[in-house]
Amino acid sequence: MKINLAVFFGCRSVEHEVSIISAVQAMASMDREKYNILPVYVTKDGESFTGELLFDIENYKDIPALLKKCKPVTFLRKGGKVIMSGLSTKVFSKAKEIPVDVAFPIVHGTNCEDGTMQGFFEFLDLPYVGCDILSSAVGMDKAVFKDVLKRFNLPVLECVTFYAREYAQDKDKIVEEVIEKIGLPAIVKPINLGSSVDISKANDKNALLDAIDLAVSFADKVLVERAVVGLREINCSVLGDSDECIASVCEEPFMTDEILSYEDKYTQGSKKTGASKGMASLSRKIPAELSEERTEQIRELACKIFKALGCAGVVRIDFIIDTQTDTVYANEINTIPGSLSFYLWEPTGVPYKELLDRMISLAFRRQRKKEELTFTIDTNILAGVKLSGTKGSKGSKI
Amino acid sequence: MNELIQFIFSMRFFYALAALLAGVAAMFSLTLQMQMFQQNSYFPKRYLPWLKENEKRKIVFRAIVFLLYAVFIINKGITVITVALAVYMVFSIIKSARVQKNSIIPLKFTARVKRMYFVFGILLALLTLLQFFLLKDVSYLFLSVNVVFCVFPYLCVFLLCVLLYPVEKSIGKWYVKDAKKILDSYNGRLKVIGVTGSFGKTGTKMILTAMLKEKYNVLTTPKNFNTTMGVVRTVREYLKPQTEIFVCEMGAKKTGDIKELCDLVNPDTALITTVGPQHLDTFLSIDNVFSTKFELYDSVKLRNGKAFVCGDSEEIKNRIGDKEVVLYGTNSSYDYYADNISFSAGGVTFDLHLLGETVQITTKLLGSHNVLNIVGSAAVAHSYGVSPESIKFAVSRLTAPEHRLEIKRYANGSTLIDDAYNSNPVGCLEACRVLSRFSPMKRVLITPGLVELGDEEYKHNFKLGQVASECADFIILVGIERSRPLKEGIMSKGYDEDKLFVAASFKEAYEKYITMADSNTVVLIENDLPDNYLK
Repeated sequence: MKINLAVFFGCRSVEHEVSIISAVQAMASMDREKYNILPVYVTKDGESFTGELLFDIENYKDIPALLKKCKPVTFLRKGGKVIMSGLSTKVFSKAKEIPVDVAFPIVHGTNCEDGTMQGFFEFLDLPYVGCDILSSAVGMDKAVFKDVLKRFNLPVLECVTFYAREYAQDKDKIVEEVIEKIGLPAIVKPINLGSSVDISKANDKNALLDAIDLAVSFADKVLVERAVVGLREINCSVLGDSDECIASVCEEPFMTDEILSYEDKYTQGSKKTGASKGMASLSRKIPAELSEERTEQIRELACKIFKALGCAGVVRIDFIIDTQTDTVYANEINTIPGSLSFYLWEPTGVPYKELLDRMISLAFRRQRKKEELTFTIDTNILAGVKLSGTKGSKGSKI
Repeated sequence: MNELIQFIFSMRFFYALAALLAGVAAMFSLTLQMQMFQQNSYFPKRYLPWLKENEKRKIVFRAIVFLLYAVFIINKGITVITVALAVYMVFSIIKSARVQKNSIIPLKFTARVKRMYFVFGILLALLTLLQFFLLKDVSYLFLSVNVVFCVFPYLCVFLLCVLLYPVEKSIGKWYVKDAKKILDSYNGRLKVIGVTGSFGKTGTKMILTAMLKEKYNVLTTPKNFNTTMGVVRTVREYLKPQTEIFVCEMGAKKTGDIKELCDLVNPDTALITTVGPQHLDTFLSIDNVFSTKFELYDSVKLRNGKAFVCGDSEEIKNRIGDKEVVLYGTNSSYDYYADNISFSAGGVTFDLHLLGETVQITTKLLGSHNVLNIVGSAAVAHSYGVSPESIKFAVSRLTAPEHRLEIKRYANGSTLIDDAYNSNPVGCLEACRVLSRFSPMKRVLITPGLVELGDEEYKHNFKLGQVASECADFIILVGIERSRPLKEGIMSKGYDEDKLFVAASFKEAYEKYITMADSNTVVLIENDLPDNYLK
């Protein structure tokens, strides 16, 4: 009796390809004795497909050809179960539909990682791996993330946020406000995109204008924060749930530019060693060269942030160290980190296969907790009531 | 054509019609009996006593009327009786339909019930045709099997039972085989814990499940599903691929029952709560009860599993011999034990010792048996790697069933033990003993005593009064006449009359209670619903 595990990846997101790499990698490491893996590739159009060919990264070079050999599917609840059902009649050789026991979203970015997909699973009442709707959504919005951390007295850099429309109406006013409150140099980030896509640094006013112009083309809301001079970036992964969590070793990503760009993160590796390495092949130092106390401080902070947001599964939290003041700030959180941060867990003593297994167990654990606390009233309250007619009776009899 | 018209107007046709009506009526009057048969789990052995208890007079009455009726028919008194019979048939159809509509648990048309009706339908049709063509004097149709079946639907139940026995038996076998196949498909990834004992296994099962859920995906046999077919149903309907532990309650009414269950589920771990004088009519001796419960032990040992056994049970301890068991209870020599048990407004608090680790537990589950149930469950959960802290947390969340020794706090700060649904003599005495443990708090008892116990009522109330006098610092009885036997019981122990108050109504009892209640008061409300008065 294997567990039917649906792995969701792709999706309508700028990090579509990254997600494919992370998912194919993960699926190759899952325990096939225990899980019956159902790959669910969501196209950039938002259509879902399944098929054996989805396990091999080579097949993604020609996606239209791949999709022709895959089967379109949909998910629905039927007879107390969630089933994956074929949209055409000949989807599976024997059965038209197959039950799904747990979902594993390996997606990055908006329209999926931000709580959207999690909401879909909640709606189906299907156990799923990773953060819930709220923590995913908070994690995606860098401004709200900072607000939540401030409320828990956790260290974050001050920031200014505004909407694209406000900026379009009065660019000068916004820029002045930024320079006054934040100063230069500053970092400009479009809110709600992960993976450092189009984050830029501005050293002077003109560069700031350019940076904001770029940012508003990606998001409706923009965040500007102080650019730390003499910055070190340290990442730490956390595994667990709100009851119990552990932090991984820390890493220090190697930067070609001043900040880790999209190119650095996902394409650099591919030039050297092939496409399927993703995050894991990025130049980095593991464990980061930090004093023992600093390492412990960051790991402790990481766990506190994890709990403050109510995360679950595996997340990666990115910290900044201002070397001039020797201060640590939490920068952002990835609720579904690239490559699921397995390269941080292996040196922590958790092999990838086990990491995945623990993540799936946590999904069932959350479902158990949910089942214990929520209940529906089995009897239909309306059943015993005489409803007054729609025509408007004289005084209702109940 | 003429023949047909002639036939339609002939008596023969009229009789045939009457027989048909009787057939339909028989189908309908079967529903009520079928419903009862279903609620007795399709066991003729349980259905028969139910009939004796509830339908005896009706059956005798019907038999007499039917005899008179038969005499009438044989003497050709047909016309008079025909009308009466038709009326009776129509009446029984309407009545059956109404009963179904208003029942708390109406008949569920399961596959088995459908099979029974199907066979019954064919049987009726065949018998009707047979009679129609064989009987020379068709007026005897009024004495047909259809009529007999309609008047005595009980017979049909037994008849169908016999007819369908081979079918049901092989279907049952197929289900057992199928369940076994499902269990085998886990390849040892599913651990099975068998829970048995004469008392407390359902409660223990729930506590153990709560603890294991801290760490595992657990499936537990629901309600009191503890027979082979109950377990088969649980496995086939509720077991999920992600289930890691199956907690299986095992009930036994005779020797071999537990072994049969073990052969199905192959338990890895055993939890045996108690051995006591239950179902002695079939077991004959406690020795037999013991050896039946320990069929679970034998099965677990085949897989080198652990058997957790309550050491506080004298019946077990005296018979344990050199069996390799892990003992739990309240004795500090056991691997798992509880001590420093105390009662307070927060519930029962005790120190739980798990192989040398100690954790303080507080539970809202009152009653001494629950402490043992918690220790036994904790022993098993601990052996499955659930941490003492998780065990403590799981226990802190357990709540008593509504109105069953349910502990609550009132606005005035006093503590209430709501045992309103308890109406059996043994349970009432246990509740009083629970109250007594709340010393040094001021302990108050409010009760109208026990009712509906027939000839035994006086005796039980007198005894309850005697026990109550030792357990409560103040007693408020409800109902001046009704509580007399209780009062006599209380006074027979020389109870201080100033501490006894007899109220005419529950409202009055509550008003009296309010005058003496403070934060150091605990009140036990026994066998009466407090909700309407205490708000």
